This record gives sequence, C-alpha cells and structure tokens, in this order.
Amino acid sequence: MSAPAAAHGIPHAAALAAWRGRAPAPPRALALPAPELLERFHPDRRPGAMVPLRVGASAGLPCRAELAALLQSDALVEDEDIAGAPLLDADVLVIGGGGAGCVAALTAARAGARVLLATKLRLGDSNTVMAEGGIQAAMGPEDSLQRHFEDTLRAGHFAADKALVAALVSDGPGVIRWLIQEGMGFDLAEGSDRMGGNLLRRKPGGATAARLLSYRDFTGLEMMRALREAVLLAPGITLLERHPALELLTDDRGRCAGAVLHELARGRPVLARAGATVLATGGAGRLHVAGFPTSNHYGATADGLVLAYRLGAALREVDSFQYHPTGIAWPPRMAGQLVSEAARASGAALVNGLGERFVDELDTRDVVAAAILREIAEGRGVARDGQAGVFLDTPGLERAKPGILGRSLVTLTHLAHRAGLDAAAEPFLVRPTLHYQNGGIAIGPDGWSGVPGLLCAGEVTGGLHGRNRMMGNALLELVAFGRRAGAAAAADARAERPRNIGLTHLADWRRALIAQGLPLARKAPLVFPPYGNFDMAKDRGRAA
Amino acid sequence: MRVLTDERRCVGADLGAWMAAGGGAGLERALADRGGIIPAIEAAGLRGLGGAGFATHRKWAAVAAQPGPGKWVICNGNEDEPGTFKDRFLLSRTPHQVIEGALVAALAVGAADIVLYINPREAAAVAVAREAVAQWEAHPLLARLAGALGEAPRLRVVTGSGLYIGGEETAAVASVMGGFPFPRLKPPFPAESGVGDAPTLVNNVETLAHAGHILAQGPEWYRGLGLGGAPGTKLFSLSGDVLRPGLHELPMGTTLRSLVFGHGGGVLAGRAFKAVFTGGPSNTLLTAADLDVPLDFDSLRARGSRLGTGAMIVVGEGTSILRKTAEYVAFFAANSCGQCPPCKIGTHQVSRILERVEAGAGRPGDLRALENLAGLLPGSGRCGLVDGAATVLASSLRTFRGEYERALGPSGQEDGQEDGQGDGQGDRLRGGGLRGGAP
Repeated sequence: MSAPAAAHGIPHAAALAAWRGRAPAPPRALALPAPELLERFHPDRRPGAMVPLRVGASAGLPCRAELAALLQSDALVEDEDIAGAPLLDADVLVIGGGGAGCVAALTAARAGARVLLATKLRLGDSNTVMAEGGIQAAMGPEDSLQRHFEDTLRAGHFAADKALVAALVSDGPGVIRWLIQEGMGFDLAEGSDRMGGNLLRRKPGGATAARLLSYRDFTGLEMMRALREAVLLAPGITLLERHPALELLTDDRGRCAGAVLHELARGRPVLARAGATVLATGGAGRLHVAGFPTSNHYGATADGLVLAYRLGAALREVDSFQYHPTGIAWPPRMAGQLVSEAARASGAALVNGLGERFVDELDTRDVVAAAILREIAEGRGVARDGQAGVFLDTPGLERAKPGILGRSLVTLTHLAHRAGLDAAAEPFLVRPTLHYQNGGIAIGPDGWSGVPGLLCAGEVTGGLHGRNRMMGNALLELVAFGRRAGAAAAADARAERPRNIGLTHLADWRRALIAQGLPLARKAPLVFPPYGNFDMAKDRGRAA
Repeated sequence: MRVLTDERRCVGADLGAWMAAGGGAGLERALADRGGIIPAIEAAGLRGLGGAGFATHRKWAAVAAQPGPGKWVICNGNEDEPGTFKDRFLLSRTPHQVIEGALVAALAVGAADIVLYINPREAAAVAVAREAVAQWEAHPLLARLAGALGEAPRLRVVTGSGLYIGGEETAAVASVMGGFPFPRLKPPFPAESGVGDAPTLVNNVETLAHAGHILAQGPEWYRGLGLGGAPGTKLFSLSGDVLRPGLHELPMGTTLRSLVFGHGGGVLAGRAFKAVFTGGPSNTLLTAADLDVPLDFDSLRARGSRLGTGAMIVVGEGTSILRKTAEYVAFFAANSCGQCPPCKIGTHQVSRILERVEAGAGRPGDLRALENLAGLLPGSGRCGLVDGAATVLASSLRTFRGEYERALGPSGQEDGQEDGQGDGQGDRLRGGGLRGGAP
C-alpha cells in the first residue's frame, strides 16, 4: 500500500542533521500559487483518476474510478436469499455504529421510536474515534455563526450547499451543550476550575477565529465514550453488533423499508424492516484510492454509498477526497495512521529534508497535503527505509511550549512510543494519508436523501464540506446531522408497517447496468477491505 | 403487427387526431349495418380480454335480446391486478379507440347509457378519458348514434372504489350504482339484471378497443392477426426478471418463449428461467416445460393454466417463488371484500402462514396446513377471488415445494425431510444458508 510518491529524497540521517542545524524560521512563501499547487500535486487532480458515472441518479457525475466500480456493480444478495430469513421490526433502523449512527439512534429513541442500531463491527468502531483535533462551534465572543459559515464555504472552495452549511453552523453551540449534557469532557481555558470556567478554544486550519474545542488530542474518542454509554443505556435501542448491511429493502411504493443485514455470528441474512432508515455508514478510506494509506478504521469501505446509490439516491463531489497532511510515513507498519492536526494547531512546524519550512502549516488540508507531496516529488522529502515524507517538528513544539506533548498531545506521544521514537527529541516522518470523503450522498437539511424513507448522516453524506473539509467540522457534522436525521426519521416512521418488502429495485438496476454494457460479475458492497479475505458467499454457507 | 398500440393511434384525448388517423370508420360501418355488428364480432372470434375469455358476441347477443330501453354498457377499466398495466395505457394514450368500441357495443345491444368505469388510482387515465368524452359530446357521429338508438346516448366516466374486487362484473355494476363493490352470486348475469336491474353489458377496455377495428376492417382481417387459429392480438403486460419489461402487443397464440426470450430480451442477466405468474396473478404457474405453449385462451386452459389479463410476471433464477406467492396471496387477502367467510378467513389464514414461513418463523405442520387450505378453499366464494389465491398457492407448492422446505428448515417439517430434496432448485443455494427456522 505504498503511496505513488517516489521514495527517493534526502536520506534520513542527512535530513536529521539539516533539521538540527537550522533555527526555526517562518515558512518560505509558496513558490506556486495555491490553485496551481493543487492542480499539479493534489492526488484528485491526477489525469484518469476520475471517471463519469454511467448509471444511476447521478449518471454523468465525475467519480473516483475505484469508487465508481463499486457503485456500478451488482448486489450481494438475491431475492431467494432472503426467503425464510428472520424478520426484525422497528420504527427506525440506523445503519452504522459510529458517531452519527449513535446520535441518530439516541435522538430517534428519545422521540419515542423503537430503534434498531445495526453496525458492521462493534459499537464505536468508527472514524469518529480517530478524530483527534476537535470540534468546531462558534462560541467565542469575537466569533459568529456567519464567520463559521464563511470559513467553511471558503475552505470547501465554495462547492458546499449553503443551506446545509447554515444548518451545520447554526447547530454548533447547541451541539456542544448537548454533548456536555451527555457527559462528554472538554478542555477548559486557563483559569477555569471545578466551579466553572470557559471552554478552551483554538484556531483550526483555515479558520478566522479560535473555534476548535477539544478534549486533549482524542476528542472523537471522548465523544464516542459518552455516546456509547448513552446508547447502551437507552431502553428504546436494540443493538445489533457484527451485522453489516448488504442491501436496502424497498416496499411496494418504492420507499426504503429497512435493510438486509448479514449476521456474522451465524453466517445468515436477517431482515430489518423499518418505517424509516438512517444510513450512517461513514467513509471510504479502506478503498485506498490512488494507492494511499489511510487513517480510516477497518470498516470504511463505502458500503453506504453503494447501497443508497443503487436505491436511487443522488451523490455529489464523489471525486473529492481529503488527504490528511500528517499521516505516519515511518515505520511502515504504522503507515497511514494519523498524527493529529492539534500538533500543527499548537505550533508544530513541517520541515523538508533540507531543514526548511515550506508551507503555512495552518493552511487548509488540501493545500498543506499538496505542498508535502510536492516536496517529496521534487526530491526535497526525507527518505527512510523506502518510505518518503517530511518532518513534523514535535521537538521544536516541545521547546516552544514545554510540557505540551505530555499534557495535551497524549495520543501523539503514545504513537511516538509505539513507533519507537521520543517525540520530544526526534521529529515524526509524515506524509499525506487518505482521511475523509468530502462528498457523498446528497441530502437536505433534515438528512433526507432523495429516496423516500431513507435518511443519511455523517461522512456518508455530501454537500457540507464542498471540495475540502475543515478540521473540526466532521465531529460537528455527525452530531448536528445525526440529531436532525434521527428526529426526522422518528417523526416519519409510520405507524403503518411497510408492506411487501423486497429487492424489487435490483431488477431495474441490473437492466440499467446491462444497458450500459457494465459487467454484472462485480458484487458490492465490499463489507471488508480486500485484505480481510472475507468471502460473503462462503460465509453465508457457514450457516448450513 | 400492432393494432391497439399502433403509434398513429396513440393520440391522447384529441378526437380530431383520432378521426384523422382512421378513427370513426368502425362506428360508421356499425351505423350503416346495425344488424351486422354481432355477426361480425362472432365471425372475428373476439373474446373477453379482461381475463375470462368468454365469447364476446354471446354477451352482446344476450343483452341485445333483452327488452329495452334503459340498457347499460360498462367499459371495465378497474384494472388493479399486480403486474397488469394494459387498460391504463389504452385509456390514457388512445381513449377514443376504447370509446368508439363502447359506442359500437351500445349500438349493437341498444344501450343509451355508456360508462367508462375507471380505477381512480389511475389519475392520468381518468383525466384523459374525461377530456375525450367531452370531445365526443359535440361530434356529429354521436348525433347519428342518437338517431339510431332513439335517444341521446349518455356517455360518462365513473371512477370506482379503486379496489381490486371492483373489477368483477357484478361488483362493477354495484360500483356504478354508487354502492360498495360487493360481488354477488350469478345468475342472474348482468346481461339480464345489471345497473338498476336493467340489462347491462360489462366488457373489458381491451375487448371493446378491438370492436371498432373489427367492424372497420372485417372479421377475416382480425382472425388473420393471430397465430395457430387463435384470432387477433393480445396486450401482454410483461414484468419481472426480463431485460425488456413493458406492454407488448403480439399476435394471440405467440409462444411464451417468443414473448420472454424474443420480445422480452430474455431473462435478466442471462439467468435461468424459473416460472411465470400469469393473469391475476391467480393462475397455475407456467414453467420451463411450458415455454413452447402458445399464449391463447384455449392452449393455456389445455395446460391447466389461464391467460388471464395477459400479465406475465417472469421469475428468473435468484428470485424466490415463495416470496412472490406470499406477496400475491397477501394482496388477495387484503382485497377480499369479506362477504364470504371462507374467502375472508381462508385467504387471511394462508397469508399469515406464508408470511411466517417467509420470515423464517414457520412451524411444523405449516406445509400441510397450506396444502389442506389449497384443497379446501376453491369454489367457496361468490366470486373467483379465493379461487385465484388457492390456485396460485397450490401451483407454487406443487412445482416449487423445495423452496418452502428450505425456508421452513428441518424443524419446520414434520417428516424430518432434509433440505435440498424436492425439486433440485436448492443446489445453487449455498447449502441451505437460508434456513431461518432452525433453533
């Protein structure tokens, strides 16, 4: 899983010497204007990376080739497979056990709905727990919703849906209040004590105000801890762990009526019938687009996009992925794992093999990532054991703010320990890692996809981040839209149960594939990454 | 050759365009030789295309023989069966073809009240038919019809209840009279006692649509359209696992193979052909052994099935017969009018058992219970609804018993019969991974 970046560059020992020899300096101005830098070095701009979709509600839309192949494939289940399958009933089915799924399930259950929460792995196995930097919400006296709105739109290159962004930023302060009530901890500003105080705010990359709230550098993990407890204690939620969704069900009016789940423990299909379904299946990092390593968890295989698209939902910006600038480049066994942006937000510099800073570390992620890829491509990267990257100057940060690594960059220190280095003495070797799917299923402000009965929340959706996501907006999105989708689903789940549930949409889908000359041999969703060696047909046979 | 669905005749509600496309000729002929209408229909061999296949001229002659005035013609467009979508096409795309046929029928039987009885759920068909009727009001042909009938014909659109049962002819009569569409025992047939006890002719939309053409172009022409002695053309509502679903107008007597593999483009994704649900879907399933059967009333009856409405729901490998049967029986159960206890309770009971077998919660004895019900229920209702449900159940049990057994699992079968025995359909199914009833 090596990045296409050439592994040549300045040898590690020489680069370390150069780094030691130079005093911290302001970053060299970009020799290229940002648009040209992105055009030449961003992985999404590589020729041939995108293909137009040929079938479905978004036919014609450019899409990552690896993703398009999955989107335009045949189903894993047949109508025959679900005859005799056990049937579970709920008002609301939530698919996905990450942050957005938990929030949607909690919200729907508290609104009185009977909720089924199905997750491919275990509750909390998700990208939410990988979010280290923090969560944005316009809370400061100098900040405003308007500024948050403008920052988000600008960072997304003005491709985002303004109504969605307005909903997102407006929910921000309420989301933080809700999270505190759920028991989530936040860092407090200097001078706060147990009797009260203010939330600690920092400035995220690309923002005009200090707006990033955090809990150390494992904010997402802390959020998931609180959400997980709340879900496990909620009486209205039935949890189905290790139940990946293989296909969505429709009723006789074409409305989404639940999903076909696969019970991994027994290797058999289970039908979950529901008045409304919330897809919160997260992202696609484990597709390893463009050959990049990923920071994403094991289950991030774009299943939700595949399922919703097959049912007729429209997609957007599926040609736009976020490559986080600072994934671990060395040691190779940890390649792709994330070094929090909190390090750069706190002041850690990026340094090339010549000991020079080469970019404003707080620029937007796409620009910083492209700048790193440029250093590597032009031979100014650092080469070590066949891996190429640049230095993240954690020793410099520790010198500037003594004690910060042990106090607030706990995860980073832990990662360094696992990598066998002392973050206070030696810089990390980093390079961009596949981090986030900027686009996804097109939704309205309440989380509705275009398909009746189907709502979506979290990373699986598109439109909030345009073509580049700001740090801290993903955690905000999953709570804000998890709540919106959960409430809308509970309100919509009819007392009347869906009738004649089935897979009737598959015949139309197959006709469309055949009409376009696309092969029916490929089956999706992927469920697990290819190196998981999971074969659905074999697994299903296990039940015999 | 296409007659009813000929592009030139699909003019919508525009009466002028219909006349320009050769419309009105049938009615002209009928007006010129009123006594020759029924003999022409008889010579053409036109039969009831709503499903019964009853000889049309006999119905017409029966109503014509009744003393008038006050007779009615009901053009039955209640169409609500799963998989049938022909009448809505005719009414919304070529309504004048239907109206002209109804006027020919009215002239033949001496009826001045002509009703287009349409399912209100087909809003487009209702709107187009209303507009088409309004255009006839001012047309000189209608005045000539008034002259022949001795009173002005009253042509109108009536929207029924939208219920499936409203398509049965006595229910249609009740519906036109403003009541709930309860079918009643026959005789008396509507031809003797229909709307307001007056003699009433009830014909399907597709049947009447042919009448004008038969008059205009002659019975010989009509007979020549069919294959193997069967007359005319038939609209087939093709759906399910085929590459090209949709409405196909083909010669009566076209083989199932030609319909599915020729006109339908074959089973979707090149899979194996399993079966076809025909008509209601209330008839005996056609299987691979029936592929070369000509699709006409007599050939299918000889094979123990029926042509029905011409709906052909194709099931390919990968689609469950059990699930389809459960869906259709549930439809019949939901649409039982509730007058006859065996139908009301029987269809509900069958549906309940099928639903739990389908959901992996079948019990020992369910298979035997289904077989008993399939034997017990036929003939126990005033109309044919319960018969249809029992027929499709019995047929699927007979032909695809293995699917029921697999869904029940070993615990659901009294005799402990192992999975995969039966019809051999299970070989592909990954060793019985679909068992839901296992503890």
